[in-house]
Amino acid sequence: ADKESFNFKMTNAYPPGAPFYVQGPGSPMDFCDKVKAMSGGRVNIQHFAAGELIPAMEGFNAVAAGTVEMNAANAYFWAGKIPAAQYFTTVPFGMSTQGMNAWLYHGGGLELWHEIYADYGLIAFPMGNTGVQMTGWFRNPLESVDDLKGLKMRIPGLAGKVYKELGVNPVLLPGGEIFPALERGVIDAAEFVGPFQDRRLGLHKAAKYYYTTGWGEPTNVTELLINKKVWDGLPKDLQLIIMTAAQACVTESFVWCEAVNADAMTDLVENEGVIAQSLPDSIVKRLKEVTADTLETMAAADPTTAKVHKSFMDFRKKHDSWAALSEKPFLNLL
Amino acid sequence: MSGNEWLIISMIGGFLGLMMIGIPVAIALAVSGFVAGYIGFGPMLFNLMPARLFGVVTNYTLMAVPLFVFMGVMLEKSKVAENMLETIGKAMGGVSGGMGLAIILVGVLMGASTGIVGATVVTVGLLTLPSLLRRGYAPSIACGTICASGTLGQIIPPSLVLILLSDIVGESVGTLFAAAFIPGLVLAVIYVVYLLILGKLKPEWMPAIPAEERAQTSGRQLARDLLKDVLPPLLLVVAVLGSIVGGIAAPTEAASMGALGALFIALAFRRLNWKLVQESLHGTLTISAMVFFILLCAQPFSLSFRGLGGDQMVHHLFDMLPGGEMGALLFLMALLFVLGFFLEWIEISYIALPMFLPVFINYGTDMVWLSILVAMNLQMSFLTPPFGWALFFLKGVAPPGVSTRDIYVGAVPFVLLQFLAVVVLFQFPSLVTWLPEVIGW
Amino acid sequence: MKSAINCIEWLVEQMGGLARLIVLALVLLVATDVILRYLFSIGPVALQELEWHLISPIALIGLSYTMKHRADVRVDFLYERFNWRLRAFIDLIAALLTLSVAVVITYLSIAYVQQSYMLNEGSPDPGGLPMRYLLKAFIPLGFGLLALQGLAETIRSLLVLCGKLPPESPAVVEEAA
Ligand code: NA
Ligand code: NA
Repeated sequence: ADKESFNFKMTNAYPPGAPFYVQGPGSPMDFCDKVKAMSGGRVNIQHFAAGELIPAMEGFNAVAAGTVEMNAANAYFWAGKIPAAQYFTTVPFGMSTQGMNAWLYHGGGLELWHEIYADYGLIAFPMGNTGVQMTGWFRNPLESVDDLKGLKMRIPGLAGKVYKELGVNPVLLPGGEIFPALERGVIDAAEFVGPFQDRRLGLHKAAKYYYTTGWGEPTNVTELLINKKVWDGLPKDLQLIIMTAAQACVTESFVWCEAVNADAMTDLVENEGVIAQSLPDSIVKRLKEVTADTLETMAAADPTTAKVHKSFMDFRKKHDSWAALSEKPFLNLL
Repeated sequence: MSGNEWLIISMIGGFLGLMMIGIPVAIALAVSGFVAGYIGFGPMLFNLMPARLFGVVTNYTLMAVPLFVFMGVMLEKSKVAENMLETIGKAMGGVSGGMGLAIILVGVLMGASTGIVGATVVTVGLLTLPSLLRRGYAPSIACGTICASGTLGQIIPPSLVLILLSDIVGESVGTLFAAAFIPGLVLAVIYVVYLLILGKLKPEWMPAIPAEERAQTSGRQLARDLLKDVLPPLLLVVAVLGSIVGGIAAPTEAASMGALGALFIALAFRRLNWKLVQESLHGTLTISAMVFFILLCAQPFSLSFRGLGGDQMVHHLFDMLPGGEMGALLFLMALLFVLGFFLEWIEISYIALPMFLPVFINYGTDMVWLSILVAMNLQMSFLTPPFGWALFFLKGVAPPGVSTRDIYVGAVPFVLLQFLAVVVLFQFPSLVTWLPEVIGW
Repeated sequence: MKSAINCIEWLVEQMGGLARLIVLALVLLVATDVILRYLFSIGPVALQELEWHLISPIALIGLSYTMKHRADVRVDFLYERFNWRLRAFIDLIAALLTLSVAVVITYLSIAYVQQSYMLNEGSPDPGGLPMRYLLKAFIPLGFGLLALQGLAETIRSLLVLCGKLPPESPAVVEEAA
C-alpha cells in the first residue's frame, strides 16, 4: 500500500538540555526517536525545547491553533484555562504513580482527559512520570505548624495555595533565581523536583534540610499534547505507534528517575551533609485538612472540575483500600 | 549550497545593508527577517511570532531593564552622577584616564548587581558619557570604555548567560557563578591596566582634570566632596548588591532597590520635584523601549533563521570539525564569535551548544571551564562591530555629537583585550576552577 | 496633512503618558513587594505577578513613543554624510518599513489575542491574575500605535521631500533622555 509520511513539530515547556523533561531515557526527545524508528521513518517529529521556537508556556495555544502539531509539558500548566487540568498531572495528597496510572488507563481518567480537551481541538496522552517528588529544601528544621508561619517559600501552584493557608508566604521566582535567593536567605525554602534534578540546581549548597515526601506532587505526569485534527488524520497504525511509544516513555522515564534519584539521594546524604527527613505528623495533618478543603472549593467553582474531581476521588478511595493491603504493608517491611 | 542557505546569507546581508544606510536597527532586523522568512517558508512560520513577542515582554528577568534605567536616569537628571565623576576625576590627581578607571569600577559594581547587558550598558552610558565628553575625553575612548565595562555584567555574577548555560551544560548555577567571579575580575584588571598605559601614552585622549582647577579645591574640600558626591551613589550600588547578598531581594528584584534609592538620594540632595520625576520617567520609557524595540524585532529574524534551517547550516559546519579536544574548542569559539555577529546570544546558545556538548563530554572537557569560555566569548560578540548589541544600546543613549563610528572604533581595542582574556583562561583553567572548589559550590 | 501628524502624535504622547506612569508604578510596586516580604513576610501572589505584567505596557506602548522622540537606534556613519534630500528619502523608506512591519505584527497578533480571549486565559497559579488576554492585547495595541507613528513619519518625510516642511538636521534632534 501507499504509505504516507508525516512531518511534525513538537515544542516543549522545558529548556534545552533538561534531563527527563527534554532528553534522556523516556524523555520527549526519546519519544520522537522511538516514534521515528517504530514507524520506519513515516512519522518524523522535530523537537524544540522551550524558547527555541516559542516560550515555555505557549505550547497549549500553539497546538490548539495548529501552529505546531505537538507539545510536551505538564497539564497543570494550563490550569489558567482549564482548572480541571490540574488532575491530569498530580493532586496534592492524591495518588501515587501506580494509582495515577491505574486511574488514567483503567479508571476513566484518560477518557475524561480526552473529553475535556476535545472542546479545544486537542488530545493528550501521558508521556512520562517523575514518580514522587520531594517536599523541598528548608534552611531551618521544621518542628510544628508554627514554624511555617511567615516562612518564605518558592512554591508554585496548588501546593502554594495550601501552604498559604498555614501562614507560608509563597514567592514566585523563575528557576534560575531559586539558588541565589535560597542561598542568601531571600527565601527560607524552595520546592523543585526530586533529588537528581535538585542536585543539578545545587540546592543542597543553599539549604541543608531536605524534607520528604512530595505530598504536593505525589506523582507527576508529563503530557503529550496533540492537535486533534492532526491526530484524526493519522492512520490507525501510526496512532497506535504514537500511543505505544508514549506509554513506553511513561514506564521508562519513571524507572530512570527511580534509579538516578536513589543514587542522588545517597550522594546528597553521605557526601553533602544533607539531612533528609519526613515532615512532622502535626504539619502533615494540617496540610491534609487544608488540601481537602481547597480541592472541594475548586471543584465547587467549576462543573468540569467537579466531574473530574469525583472520578479521581472515587477511584482513589477504591485504590487506597487496595494499597492499604498491598503496597503499604510491603513498604512498611522495608 | 541550497536555496534556503542563500536566503539566510541574503537575510544577514540585507540586515547589514539596511542598517548601514541608516534604517533604525530594530526595523532593519525585522524587515530582513520577515522578507526572507516569507520567501523561504511562507506565512505559516510567522504564526509563531506573537507567542515569541509575548515571551519577550513577559520575561521576568528583563524587568531589571526599566528598574536600572530609572536609577541611571534619576542619578543623571539630578546631576548626582556628574558630581560624582568630577570629584573622582579631581581625586585621581594628575593621573590621565582617572575618570575612565572610575567607569570600570562602576561597570564592575553594576555587573555585580545585574545580569542584563542592556541595563548595564545603558545605565553606565547615561551616568558617565556626558561628563567624560565634557572633560575632553576622545569620544571613541569614552564609548569603548563604557561598552566594555557595561558588558562586564555578563560574566560577573549574577548573570543571565550563566543561568542559561547552567541549564544546558548541567552544572549548578552556583558553581558557574563562583567560576565566573575571578575571570570577571581578571577582565576588569586587564581593562584598568590598558587604560593606565593608554593614559601614559596618549594623555590628550583621556585628560586628567587640569592642575589649576584641581588647585582650587583644597585637600579638605576634596575630602568633603568625596564624602558628599561619591558616597551616596556608591551607597546606592552597595544597596543593590547588599540587598542580594543580605538576603533581602532576589537578583532581578534588587534593581528596584537601586531605583528607590535613587529617588531617596535625589530627595536628600533636595533636587526631587515633580519635574525631575517626569523627566526621569520620560527617559526611562524611551530608553527601556529602545532596548525592547531591538529585542522584539530580533524575533522575526531569529525565527526565520531557524525556519530556513539556519541551525542545520550550523550543523553542516559541524562536519568540518577538526579532531582533538583543542581543535574542537577552537572551532567552537570561532563559530560562537561569528554567530554572535548577527544572532542574539540566547539563540546562539540554543543552536550551537547542544550540538557540541556531546563531543566535549566525550573528551572529558571540564564543563565549568567550557561554560566560562563560552560566556566570555558571547560577551566578546556583544562588543564586536558592526552588530554588537552593547554598541547599539550605547548609541541609543549617546548625546547627538557621538557617532556610530566613534562607538565602533572605541570597541575594537576592548574586543582584542577580551580575546587576550580568553587566551589567558585557555592557558590557566585554574582561574575558573579554583574558586568553586574552595568554597564548595 | 500636518494636522494628521499632530493628531497621531497627540495620541502617541497621551499613551506614552500612561506608560510613564506605569514605569513609576513598576518601581514602587517591586520595591514595596521586596520590603513587605522582608519586613513582614507578606506578598500576595497577585501583586508578585503584577510585577512582570507591567513590563508589557512599558515595552510595547513605549515603541511608538520612542520612535516619536527619535530615541530608536540608527547606525549613522553613512547617514550623517548624506545631503538633506537623501536623508529625507532614507527617512521615508524607514517610515514605510516601520509602517509595514508594525501592520504585519498587529495583524498576526490579533488572532493570538482572540484565541486567548476564547480560552478565557488566566494565571495558572491559584491567586494569580485573571484575564491574561488583556496582557496579550498590548501586542496589537503597541504595534498598532507604532504603525500610526510610522504613518505620521511617512507623511512628514513626504512633506520634507516636497519642500513643505524644513528638513530636520541631526543636531537639533531631541536627545534620548
Ligand atoms: Na515540583
Ligand atoms: Na552580572
